[in-house]
Amino acid sequence: MRALLLSLILLGNLQSALAMDHGGMIMDEKGMIMNANTDRLPRDCPKISENVDITIHAGQKNALKFVGKMFAFDQQEWNVKPCAKINITFINDDQIRHQLMIHGLPGYLYPEGMFHLELYGEGQLQASLIMPSQKKTYLVHCELPQHMEKGMKAQLKVDGGDGDLPSIPGLTKPVKADIYPVDWTQLTWSVLFLSALLGIGIPFLIIINATGINNFYQKMLSKVRRKNK
Amino acid sequence: MTLKRALIFIALLSALVFIAIVTVPSLQDKADITPPATVFVGSKDNTSIVKPCSNEHPEWRPAQIIDGVSIDAAPACEPDNPYDVAASVKGTNNISMSTLMQTNLAQDALTMTDDLDNDGDPDVIHIKLEVVELNGSTPDGEFLINTFDIAPGIQPGLWVYAPKSRGMALKNFNSVVANPLLRAPSPVIRVEQGDKVYITLENTHYLPHTIHLHGVDHTWITDKGEENDGMEEHAVFPGKSHTYEIQPRHAGTMLYHCHVQTAQHFMMGLSGMFIVEENQPNNELQTFNIGAGQVRHPSALIKKTYSQEYDLHYQSIDKKLAKIIQEANDPRLIAQRMSRDYNMTESFENYFLLNGHSFPYTLRDAMIIASENEDIKLHIANLQRSSIALHIHGHKATITALDGVDLTPVQQITRDVFDIAPAQRDDIHLQTKNNGLNSYGPGLWMFHDHVPTGTTTDGMEPGGNIAILAYKEFLDEQGMPKMHDQLFDQVFNKDYYAKKQAVWAEGPYAPLLGDAGLLSPKYLQIALFGLAIGLIIGLLVFSVVIYKRKQQR
Repeated sequence: MRALLLSLILLGNLQSALAMDHGGMIMDEKGMIMNANTDRLPRDCPKISENVDITIHAGQKNALKFVGKMFAFDQQEWNVKPCAKINITFINDDQIRHQLMIHGLPGYLYPEGMFHLELYGEGQLQASLIMPSQKKTYLVHCELPQHMEKGMKAQLKVDGGDGDLPSIPGLTKPVKADIYPVDWTQLTWSVLFLSALLGIGIPFLIIINATGINNFYQKMLSKVRRKNK
Repeated sequence: MTLKRALIFIALLSALVFIAIVTVPSLQDKADITPPATVFVGSKDNTSIVKPCSNEHPEWRPAQIIDGVSIDAAPACEPDNPYDVAASVKGTNNISMSTLMQTNLAQDALTMTDDLDNDGDPDVIHIKLEVVELNGSTPDGEFLINTFDIAPGIQPGLWVYAPKSRGMALKNFNSVVANPLLRAPSPVIRVEQGDKVYITLENTHYLPHTIHLHGVDHTWITDKGEENDGMEEHAVFPGKSHTYEIQPRHAGTMLYHCHVQTAQHFMMGLSGMFIVEENQPNNELQTFNIGAGQVRHPSALIKKTYSQEYDLHYQSIDKKLAKIIQEANDPRLIAQRMSRDYNMTESFENYFLLNGHSFPYTLRDAMIIASENEDIKLHIANLQRSSIALHIHGHKATITALDGVDLTPVQQITRDVFDIAPAQRDDIHLQTKNNGLNSYGPGLWMFHDHVPTGTTTDGMEPGGNIAILAYKEFLDEQGMPKMHDQLFDQVFNKDYYAKKQAVWAEGPYAPLLGDAGLLSPKYLQIALFGLAIGLIIGLLVFSVVIYKRKQQR
């Protein structure tokens, strides 16, 4: 028992000692934060325009409101002003790993253009970043295999953004859409046949009444001629 | 119309019909004296050619010590990451942060604590596994994501268990390739007899899964009364986790696999080797053997008898099953197509893998590399759908255990074809003693399943699970077999396995055995035929018009 206690204490110390900064990366046994930025301004920003606090839940249950998905964030879009400072509270409601990655940021502030939060299981963490002034839409996603594909995808728009990203659950269309069968009932087939019959009938009606139509036309023509005289 | 005119008209028409019939051009024809020339059909550029060895990490090959863990040399083209090995031996909780940073493992992937029996090694082992989809679909375009090539240009949809990882699942930002930790086969797991082992399945996938410990001593329910056999009725759903608890009393080579929709999930790749090693003092085990193959840190007991240890994981794929996850993205469609539309009793095996690769990629990381007079321990598991008849060229080896149970000396037979039923495990003692029985001497000896399908990749030979038992002197500095240049030119090529290229399209025999070209068309015949048909139609229309005009008058 004493040995167990001792080892637990040792383990605890070791793990807290491991939670340290590695060139933009903070990591402990619960998760990691890469390239957080609380104070360095982007070159094009004289000052921080606004402070935005965002809480983002990640988890399987958020996908329930979208058919055909499995994982999702609780929101799919955020709008901020140019040069906004965003304080993110990232909450993982699942018992598995989830990430929150933002791509396409300036590389001189965010190595590889990326801001990355990761929770190894249930839990939460906080980190901030400062957006540049450019009017742009940023991809926000979880990069675990098939998590973005199955719904964990969102967008962050600065200054209204420069368009929408594809296949964001509930927001935008996929590039490659799945194919589903159509529900053909007796009514659907009847409508098809009736319209086809009508289409065939119209030319026949015209031919059958050709003489009548011609007579009518001639009559009208002569009436017009008389009036002109 | 006079009778004379009518007769001329009919005669003319008949002549034209005769000409048309005689001159009908065909889509294929007999060759004249000179058959068509040999042509090269494959791509003209180099885009389909793959480098035999990318030689990404030559520094991983030599023997080294990391965080006090001694790691054996691995001369192969793609050696196991030695930092993964160190983390697998010490546990992710007992290695330095700088070592952990050289891996893709999460900090809680493998924790090892508490020497319960006071014999110098940790006995409480927490293992965390995730479920990863490789070569899966994406709604974002016509491409696959988290790709893992089993052979040049071959990317079947796969599911694997992977040690809990961290960071990017892709190799880098401009890539759709999975990071090296995410690969087939599911990792080999090693624990010590009597260890208190907690295996947590964190289901990162979008369908339910379990872990069933096949042949491993475990109670049916845990002390807390929770499910412990990994059965279908206690599936771990997406986003959930479940911990299986074991304290195995019996040592041997066993398995673990998913027991949800077992036939399909097993064949998708959710199966791996689970090896229980005998309890030894100061025993350090390599808990994960990522990608199977050479064990770079064998246990104390293995080192007493053997110079090297290898894990061989045989696996097969039905391309129709593997495609289901690539053709739809909606989990409901995938569930329906995999569980109800797909019929396992009408399935085929199209791809045959050894340690996650088919030939020629087996040469990168699935070779057995030996010197003379070695004693090598092989753990072989058949995780494919059909039986295996494993043959090692130039050697006769001895079976020491079946299904994790040691054989008595009388039962231990020496042979050159090992029949291994599905889910069966053979422990084999391979001797490289050049005595005309155990070994015929140094060389590049092929070893493969002798069932004819097993050496092909979707029917293309050489492929499948072919690999080589290579004596060191026959390997180059990158760990690739020497004297195989011409074969490499042929098979390290996507066109070859896409069946776009003739088998012998290279070398001196190419003009003889390459693809035959096409016959040149007979233009005179075609022109005559066209003329005849045109005249027939013209004449008929003309005569109809004349006939109608006459009637109107």
